[in-house]
Amino acid sequence: MKNFLKNHGLWVLFAAAVISVALAVMSFFSNTSAPLSNLAGVLASPFRSAYTSVATWFNDKQNYYKDNTALEEENAALRKQLAEMEKAIRQAEEDSAENERLRELLNLQKKREDFEFESAYITEHTVTNWTSSLTLDKGTKHGVEVKDCVIDETGALVGVVSEVGYNWCTVLTIVDTDTSLGAQVFRTKDLGLAVGDFSLMEERRLRLDYLPAGCQLLGGDLVETSGLGGYYPSGLVIGTVEEVQKDDSGTTSYAILAPAVDFDGLTEVFIIKSFDIVP
Amino acid sequence: MLARNETIFKWTLYAAATLLCFLAQGLVLQRFTLWGVIPFLYPVLPAVLATYEGPVAGAIYGLAVGVTCDSLLPGPIPCFYTLVFPLVGLCGALVSQSLLPAGFLCSLVVSAIGFLLTDVFHCFLLWATGRSAWSSGLFLMLREFCVTVVWSLPVTLLFLTVFRRTRFDD
Repeated sequence: MKNFLKNHGLWVLFAAAVISVALAVMSFFSNTSAPLSNLAGVLASPFRSAYTSVATWFNDKQNYYKDNTALEEENAALRKQLAEMEKAIRQAEEDSAENERLRELLNLQKKREDFEFESAYITEHTVTNWTSSLTLDKGTKHGVEVKDCVIDETGALVGVVSEVGYNWCTVLTIVDTDTSLGAQVFRTKDLGLAVGDFSLMEERRLRLDYLPAGCQLLGGDLVETSGLGGYYPSGLVIGTVEEVQKDDSGTTSYAILAPAVDFDGLTEVFIIKSFDIVP
Repeated sequence: MLARNETIFKWTLYAAATLLCFLAQGLVLQRFTLWGVIPFLYPVLPAVLATYEGPVAGAIYGLAVGVTCDSLLPGPIPCFYTLVFPLVGLCGALVSQSLLPAGFLCSLVVSAIGFLLTDVFHCFLLWATGRSAWSSGLFLMLREFCVTVVWSLPVTLLFLTVFRRTRFDD
């Protein structure tokens, strides 16, 4: 090799110079890259691709991790926000329902300014199969007394307080067998006694007894409390006449009443703590 | 002295079991209706316990459960359950001592007797106050028993566990 360069070195140098000049001239006049550069590029291309792929993969993973973490955080924040909004909606729905009840009650209050109300929530429905009762969250602490009438927001009679504790009271509903109220048919002004009947209690019905002979009741006739005797306020809606029947002896008739109040839908009721006796 | 401690221990366990039954009634059974009635566990308690503990203890236990029920539940008269439940306990003990040995079958029978006494007394009071409803009342009794009878089995198991535990200590 040493001898070769010593003997032909000049030629080699000359050839290299010629090739260099030729490449320079070619690259000057060519629109593409120089052949050497091109060759180097071709050889490096797979490595570049591989490098780029690996780098891209790492970059993607990094971005995925970053995005995932950010999304998880965002998701948690959104879930929290959603829960808060759902809670707010529930509260708003409850408030709206309460508002509606209170508006209805306000109408009743305008009609009967003598009524003093105490709102109460039902804490327990009927506890035995032999009674129809409700337990409320108000008691002597709130001025509730035995025999106070309990109504819903429309003024329909729910029942009468039968037992009172410090912060609770038990209400026997109008369909309970122990309930007995002076009643009046709104259309005919006939008087009677609305009483709970055990055989009707399960169907949520009650009887209107002691009707005067010859009274002409029609299905759908409205029956209210008469207020006679001053035990209960007058004008509270008990229900409507469903049918008129003769008793076992066949001499007197009685009516079966459908209560105006929907016992299953009750959540809040109003206790009438005091009232004026309206003649 | 030891016997007294054992007695206290035994009745403490029975009281805890009873409390569990009251909680089950208030929290679970009262919340659903089957065949138009809610399962009513209270008459089953003195009936089943008396089959294991005899007439005196059964009647006294019935009295205690009756007083508790009267203070918690509305009734036709103020001492309704106080009057009925000792009788239920007494009958439960008599059945277990003379007809059937205490066990699940005996519990079913004495539970039926418990419902019979309680609900017939209900009907009697309605009749006495001029609101006779014998047919509706007896039909209600049948439904009440059918709906509750399944629950008399866990009650029996509970009281049987206490009975065996405290008897083993004897």
